[in-house]
Amino acid sequence: MVPATETVLVVDDEQGILEALADLLREEGYRVLTASHGREALERMAEVKPDLVLTDWMMPVLDGPALIERILQDPSLRDIPVLGMSAVDVNGLKRLHPAMEFLQKPFDIRALMKLVRRSLDANPRARGG
Amino acid sequence: MSPSEQHPPAFERIATGVPGLDPILGGGLVASGVYIVVGEPGAGKTIFANQLCYSQAQQGTRCLYVTLLAESHSRMLANLRSMAFFDASQLPQRIYYVSGFRMLEEQGLPGLLELLRREMRNHGAGILVLDGLVQAQEAAGSSRDFKKFIHELQVSAGLSRFTALLLTSSVGPTVHPEYTMVDGILELRERTAAMRSWRELQVRKFRGSASLNGSHHFRISEAGLEVFPRLESMASRAQPPDWGTQRVRFGVPTLDAMIPEGIAAASTTLVMGPPGCGKTLLGASHLAEGLRLGEPGLMVSFYEGPDRLLHKAANVGLSLGTGVKDGRLVLQWNMPAECNLDLVAHNMLEDVRKRGVKRLFVDGLSAMVETTHEPARISPFFAALTQELRRHGVTTVFTLETPRLFGPDMDVPLGTGLSGVAENLLFMRHLELNGRLRRLLSIFKLRDADYDPTLREFLITSQGIEIQPPFQPSPELLLTGIARFPGNHS
Repeated sequence: MVPATETVLVVDDEQGILEALADLLREEGYRVLTASHGREALERMAEVKPDLVLTDWMMPVLDGPALIERILQDPSLRDIPVLGMSAVDVNGLKRLHPAMEFLQKPFDIRALMKLVRRSLDANPRARGG
Repeated sequence: MSPSEQHPPAFERIATGVPGLDPILGGGLVASGVYIVVGEPGAGKTIFANQLCYSQAQQGTRCLYVTLLAESHSRMLANLRSMAFFDASQLPQRIYYVSGFRMLEEQGLPGLLELLRREMRNHGAGILVLDGLVQAQEAAGSSRDFKKFIHELQVSAGLSRFTALLLTSSVGPTVHPEYTMVDGILELRERTAAMRSWRELQVRKFRGSASLNGSHHFRISEAGLEVFPRLESMASRAQPPDWGTQRVRFGVPTLDAMIPEGIAAASTTLVMGPPGCGKTLLGASHLAEGLRLGEPGLMVSFYEGPDRLLHKAANVGLSLGTGVKDGRLVLQWNMPAECNLDLVAHNMLEDVRKRGVKRLFVDGLSAMVETTHEPARISPFFAALTQELRRHGVTTVFTLETPRLFGPDMDVPLGTGLSGVAENLLFMRHLELNGRLRRLLSIFKLRDADYDPTLREFLITSQGIEIQPPFQPSPELLLTGIARFPGNHS
């Protein structure tokens, strides 16, 4: 059973995908926040600090890599695990960000849930939460 | 001219990356222009826009692809992956996909416009694709708001020097009055007649230069879009070169003897006759003679497959196989049911240009006539095709099947349109005489050459074609196809 306090922030500019992911994660018992681009994601994080950020790569306003950079620059956010997802070949993205986990779109829901769980379990702060 | 005077800049062109399209547009899209691509869902708009982006990215141009309630980006990319132009390494550095739908929903057209301007600037992009203009149109409060949006986008394109492609599915009239302010409108459509369907592209409006009018066939394959400009709109209006006194022979000694000087080089010969009268073998002789003289040949056929044709020719002593093996002779075979005039002409003329073809044999002009959905086009098409072949110095033999096996009438399909264009006309027919089927040949017309106009029996033997001396039975009856020897009244 997922601890009720675990919060996942989903960031995607494609509205349909954002809503579908949010619904699926809520069904799994997570608390879900959504944002349609990086800047909106930072605004959400200023209100509630999530346990995991699941972000798309190509987005308007502030994209995935820029969002990650902002998170790493902010001491209050830098320990939050970030999962990347993209329709672009993620092997190329992995080479640029070796410490990150990526999901290749379109993905299997079970693969997504497994990776979300693994990322949360690997984060001691979230486990303790 | 003083140094302070400036010439107006010539229009810089953006190559579309779609084979055949740039000539239609007079050289490509005009840089900093705003273009609308309209067409039903499935017409090929998304593939077209992506093909342009990947082609431009290859040349170092960054492209921004903005969707509005279109298929998801991952689905779009999955569909594109099988396309030859797709290049994953361009993503996300040179081709960037974002959705503008949320912005449109929340902030309307001004929000979308701001997003487009900002993202184009941030990415330093030279190409903008907005996929789903119809969503923007629906979100506009009024037609005036929509026009204002397009106008402001045009101003941005001019200032920031980007070229925009706005994709929209047609709702209501194909071309909305609101669209007329853009620099160009390209329409993609699928048409159906009976069981067949085909794709057409039409340039409805194009600022900056003349474009080729009318509809042009295009296809979508793994190569992406390929457009085949309507031959009549492309054919050179210039007079073909003078091929002087060069002469060409069929390679059938007894037939060549009827035309002592030979036929004019780069001329067109139409061989008409019913099925089975020997038209194909006459064309094969024309090619075999070319091979003997070292002239590259091309054969375009519609009914019989290449192997069967080679076999048929070999049976009468015409060896074409060696020429095919060493590349001096190329056989292009087309399925008559799916025949498309412009595609056939494109392939034919491309090979003519590439290999310097001197002799061409098109076996089955009738197939082209019968399978096209626009019979009225045949004559102007044939005129344009023969004009191009003349320009390239190709001596061509076309066969045209006449429907009647026997009888007093001589049917020329499509009236005088085709026969008027061909310089040389040969007519073949069957004749039933004393219980034996015979073949007859006569020369109806020959440009710039004397010829023997008598009716001759045309024999096909294992040694090839042989033309017999002038036929003896009463000539007035010969033309009816039912002949009798003089004195035979039975």
